[in-house]
Amino acid sequence: MIVGDLGRGEFDKRLAGPGLRVRFGPFNIRIGSPLDAFAGVAHQLYAPYPLVEENALIDFHVRIASPRGLRRWVRRQACFSLDGQSPFAPYTIEHAFPAVEWGINWCIATRAHHLLMLHSAVVERDGLAMLFPASPGDGKSTLCTALVHSGWRLLSDEFGLIRPEDGLLLPLPRLIPLKNESIEVIRRFRPEALIGPAFYNTRKGTVAHVRPPVDSVQRAAETARPRWFVFPRWIAHSPLDLQPMSKSQAFLMVASNAFNYEVLDETAYRLVAQMVAQSDCYSLCYSDLDEALAALDELSRSSRDE
Amino acid sequence: MGNCQPDREAFVLAEAARSLIWQAWDEVYIIYQASSAETHVFNETTALILRSLEQGPLLAEGTRNRVEAALGLDPGELVEEDFAFALARLEELGLIDRLDPVSPVDDRR
Amino acid sequence: MTSSGTANRQANRLLIEAIRSPDVLTALRPDEWELLVRVARRARLLGRIDSEVRLAGVDECVPPSAAAHLRAARNVIAHRKTLVSWEVDRLLWALRGVDQPLILLKGTAYLLAGLPPERGRIFADVDLLVPEDGLGEIEERLVARGWSRIQIDPYDDRYYRVWMHEIPPLRHYERGTEIDLHHRLLPRTSRLNSDPAPLFAAAQPLANPRLRVLAPPDMVLHALVHLFLEGDPDEGLRLRDLVDVHDLLTHFSGQPGFWDQLVRKAGDLGFARPLFYGLRAAERLFATPVPREVLGGLRRVSPPWPLRAPMEKLIDLALLPGHPDHPLTRAGLARWLIYVRAHWLRMPPLLLARHLSRKTWLRFRGARKRIDLAQLDLKQQ
Repeated sequence: MIVGDLGRGEFDKRLAGPGLRVRFGPFNIRIGSPLDAFAGVAHQLYAPYPLVEENALIDFHVRIASPRGLRRWVRRQACFSLDGQSPFAPYTIEHAFPAVEWGINWCIATRAHHLLMLHSAVVERDGLAMLFPASPGDGKSTLCTALVHSGWRLLSDEFGLIRPEDGLLLPLPRLIPLKNESIEVIRRFRPEALIGPAFYNTRKGTVAHVRPPVDSVQRAAETARPRWFVFPRWIAHSPLDLQPMSKSQAFLMVASNAFNYEVLDETAYRLVAQMVAQSDCYSLCYSDLDEALAALDELSRSSRDE
Repeated sequence: MGNCQPDREAFVLAEAARSLIWQAWDEVYIIYQASSAETHVFNETTALILRSLEQGPLLAEGTRNRVEAALGLDPGELVEEDFAFALARLEELGLIDRLDPVSPVDDRR
Repeated sequence: MTSSGTANRQANRLLIEAIRSPDVLTALRPDEWELLVRVARRARLLGRIDSEVRLAGVDECVPPSAAAHLRAARNVIAHRKTLVSWEVDRLLWALRGVDQPLILLKGTAYLLAGLPPERGRIFADVDLLVPEDGLGEIEERLVARGWSRIQIDPYDDRYYRVWMHEIPPLRHYERGTEIDLHHRLLPRTSRLNSDPAPLFAAAQPLANPRLRVLAPPDMVLHALVHLFLEGDPDEGLRLRDLVDVHDLLTHFSGQPGFWDQLVRKAGDLGFARPLFYGLRAAERLFATPVPREVLGGLRRVSPPWPLRAPMEKLIDLALLPGHPDHPLTRAGLARWLIYVRAHWLRMPPLLLARHLSRKTWLRFRGARKRIDLAQLDLKQQ
């Protein structure tokens, strides 16, 4: 059963009562919220995600609700909590949805230390994965959204989750948050992309969430093997430039951008070294999405034929 | 610490340096140190200092001669300060130890 | 009893039983595993549960997703252990030629002396006890070798230096591990006798002769000081500190003279009553083997039953984490009361009033408690 099978009434009842039990990739999340500001957006954007089966364990119990006490009367606020504790300052109530999306990422990034977590977008074709490790602001989400609406499968926009046992990538096809100008870029580039409402003046500017293609959500149990590292940079009016990158530089960029490289000690070192050794590494400068996509398609075809 | 005669100071590979994991790409060495859970990036000179101490303790001078020979440089061509900096850095990372001046070291090695 | 009372009791029982008799882990239902993971995480005892599972050899009984959480906890702990023991190695390097006794405390001591509380325990900082007159030399040397004082607000800095038993923490410019240098185990302001000289006299050397740990009775008393005097207004008493006490007592129990010395030293310190409460709590929750006559002897210094019973109730409420979905107001109150009481033992009343109002003010502004996301990206977490 998927979230979309629930009518709005049942959906709201679960959110306000026992919680909505939803599966994002390898994680089961229970979300509680009495807030309309959250439920309306969530019902639309979470529609293709599976509900957690009866007996399965929940990994993270999160909630977004108005804080108790005086503050609720002063300004309407929403407080994100995990297991009954609120690690963050409250948000304005209109930003309840991005707060939960962000909060769940935070849960994963700070707790899932049984996996190596790279900070990277990951897309897949024919079982082979292309990773885009990047710092925010380098256009990783824009490029990733364009790719997954052009024949690539989304593994994740934010997390390269690597299973230490076999070095394979686990999908975590969550919503893709587009920021500021990227929202309009994607609307023009792929009018069929399903984009949620824009949230203005968040801590990251304007944010709107892209719902990944249904196929990516349905295939969230299919792992992929790392094959290419591409370090993208969007530069206005820049000509397309795809250059091989040295392995040592790629190693350093991957390791220093990971969420928990430091925590996993030797396991992390070995996994990153092995991934970088077996992958082709490139830097990519681009301004035009069509050109960038064509170059990456070409790259995936030529190295597959080798 | 006998700063007056830096070349006469002797160094030995620390225990922590015996179990390093090495990954060489081009002239860059990416090295994992299990004792500290740190990943280091060393250039060839720094890597050669560690390699030359693997056989046993050496005076700073002797270490430098070996590194210069391995790099194909003339004796004295390595910049003194750079070499001293690399030694101090390796010591700080716990990969080499400075021997107390009393310890006997074979000059001829 | 209300349904949240029932939920809280179930949560606490799961955690306590998992530590007290790990065999129960073979019979847990999936929903109980889910709750155990949540409660153990809140008490920062998830790594301990992982250790119990593996020690009891019941890995196959753990549902895969609970196993993933245990694995994550184990990875973090393994990493922290490496950092702490490496920091000690680097300290010894930096302090070469400094002829001062270095006594490892708390987690650092358990780890380097290989004592039972080390198992599955989370490690934060390196704690060292050094003679007060050697503090200057040690701090100076560390600062010269790459450590620096952590920037804290001037109120806290003054509070540390004037009133406390340690100096503000030091941190190396590259590594994140904090070093806490103590010159006594109790604040100067404490109502308890805090002369550290007998601790140095009784300390025991480790395999590396430059390092020492406290003698067994002192180590237990210090763990109890930590439990009862270093609480937190939100967390109350830390159950994991009581687990340390339980492990140490069980381990040292058979050593000749241990219990006699423990009781005598507690008396010298003016710490007999906290010892009584600590032993009772360990026995009550973890079935720690405490000899009858020890408790009998201490009962003379303990308050009469009508006062004792509510105090023990308060201690349990403040120790046990409860159910994350059903917070109890009375547990929150108990944690606050215990926190105030701990400070009562540590400070004269006027200073206490100033300190608490200051802390409450910070709490109200949210200065400590919350992360402001505007400053941080996900990566920096």
